[in-house]
Amino acid sequence: MTKTLLEVQNLTKYFSTPAGQLHAVDGVSFAIEKGKTLGIVGESGCGKSTTGRAILKLIQPTSGNIIFDGRDITDYNRNQMRPLRREMQMIFQDPFSSLDPRQSIFKLISEPLVEHKMFKTKSEVEKRTLELMETVGLAKRLVNSYPHELDGGRRQRIGVARALALNPRLIVCDEPVSALDVSIQAQILNLLKSLQKELGLTYIFITHDLSVVKYFADDIGVMYLGQMVEKASSVDIFAEPLHPYTKALLSAVPVPVVGQERRKRQLIRGEITSPVNLPDECRFCSRCDESQEAVCRAGNPPLREVKAGHFVACARLN
Amino acid sequence: MENSSILKVKDLVVHYETDDGCVNAVNGLTFDVGVKKTLGLVGETGAGKTTSALSILNLIPGPAGKIKQGEILLDGHDILKMNQSELEKMRGNDVAMIFQDPMTALNPVMTVGEQIAQVFELHQKASKREAFAEAKKMLKMVGIAESRANDYPHQFSGGMRQRVVIAIALACNPKLLLADEPTTALDVTIQAQVLELMSNLIHDRSMSMILITHDLGVVAEICDDVAVMYAGRIVEIGSAGEVFNETAHPYTEGLFNSLPNLKQQGEELVPIKGMMPDPSNLPSGCAFHPRCPYATENCAKEQPGLRHVGGNHFVACDAYNDAAFTLGGGVN
Repeated sequence: MTKTLLEVQNLTKYFSTPAGQLHAVDGVSFAIEKGKTLGIVGESGCGKSTTGRAILKLIQPTSGNIIFDGRDITDYNRNQMRPLRREMQMIFQDPFSSLDPRQSIFKLISEPLVEHKMFKTKSEVEKRTLELMETVGLAKRLVNSYPHELDGGRRQRIGVARALALNPRLIVCDEPVSALDVSIQAQILNLLKSLQKELGLTYIFITHDLSVVKYFADDIGVMYLGQMVEKASSVDIFAEPLHPYTKALLSAVPVPVVGQERRKRQLIRGEITSPVNLPDECRFCSRCDESQEAVCRAGNPPLREVKAGHFVACARLN
Repeated sequence: MENSSILKVKDLVVHYETDDGCVNAVNGLTFDVGVKKTLGLVGETGAGKTTSALSILNLIPGPAGKIKQGEILLDGHDILKMNQSELEKMRGNDVAMIFQDPMTALNPVMTVGEQIAQVFELHQKASKREAFAEAKKMLKMVGIAESRANDYPHQFSGGMRQRVVIAIALACNPKLLLADEPTTALDVTIQAQVLELMSNLIHDRSMSMILITHDLGVVAEICDDVAVMYAGRIVEIGSAGEVFNETAHPYTEGLFNSLPNLKQQGEELVPIKGMMPDPSNLPSGCAFHPRCPYATENCAKEQPGLRHVGGNHFVACDAYNDAAFTLGGGVN
């Protein structure tokens, strides 16, 4: 039986700036089933990380609802969130800055266990810590090492172990491999995937790298300027991207193939517009090759189901 | 073939001598860059890519960094034998460099126009006014409105700043451009714009380029030739077609296998086991042998040289030691 683990309804997060309201996340909705992976893709400033943080209540959303396992946690305070922290965890992008340099690996991995009083005795904590190190492929001899003694791949394994420590059900992975070299990237991606199979984890996988989510995600949401512009199964998005931004994003990825006919690139003009004080029109239309003045400037198109399970926010696809 | 290369690097060795021992960053590097050709220098963190590029400008940071041996011939002149004033003339005029991070490569308290104009003042002895006019032309060439010449770097986005850096590098029409991860800090759509701009400009100006990158996709897009580096050595070099379609070295193969591919889905990635070796304590023999799935006993004993395997394709791997002849003295 499949069951929705997390549902996000109309999530918004605005930041006040001297210039006006910054629309970081603007009405994003999605749901994830247990054991599945949702990939959230987009470029710098599209609001993907803010979305991830809002789901974990690391920042308080401006409006909208976050429903985790049937409970609306949007207005939960710190104390109410505390037991939930065991169930939702995060893996951060940069394994160089997300670990306390003064704590040993043992301290780092056992910290969540101690903090949440998972075990009564020290020996139990120790046992679980070593178990976690084994799960993520860290050698036992490293238990007293410090983060600066390790390379990026191993540091990221510590990040994964910390996230797994409390047996969470949902893990938000915010660009977990973008700071790593490709050969190490593959090691971490394989690790995350096998952990999902073993432990039945649900992932939200935030990344700018389309090839990584294709490998990883069941469903993909593409974000642009705070909104989700396309949402479908991973297979559908790559087989038949419908939103002009998704198409351009896919064609911009350099493909490591030589000799075959060079693809005609669809370059996007210009750069992402400022997310402050946005006009009521399609947010991509000033950069879009397919835009039709009257239709696209008439209002901000909502996400609509164009085909079964394939949602697109584009006024031209009505 | 002899006259068709702009740059010849022969047996270059660069070490950093630190308190904790000697870091063997570059260990016998030999390659050529053809006139009007783009060579992609590929490798992971610590492979020695950036050190190689810095030695071409003789910019290895001292006193720790030392070029131990080798020759770097730019158009026949050995850069390592030049004195300070010759070097200053060469840098910028003949060889220019684009750095990875456009956020730190520009001076935050000078307008971008002034920064580009500086190049003309220094190298072409232009007056302030002439130089600024030229700077505006350069801005236009890289796709930035001339009216923005009086803006400061913080007023530009990452992609725009990298365009400014490109304008500075190209100002004196260098023969050779060294681009060190020029698009790594940029978003993919902006990366596509900048790569397109760079390859057009290089083509128009008949320049050669060494493009340093870890992204095999970027290499496939714009490079003619590819050199794959591992632990300070080239392990495979050839035309892009040869390296990508007839991959010979186990490390290159490993790099390709660990790439998530847009074309396939769901398959398990095949990472390279283990990690990059510590450059101050390299394994004996072939530096890749502890990670290599095909390694034999002999691999730990002997450091294989580059061997010819067909066309312009050379591989440093013991498995190919029956090939016709070995690469000596930079025949390529």
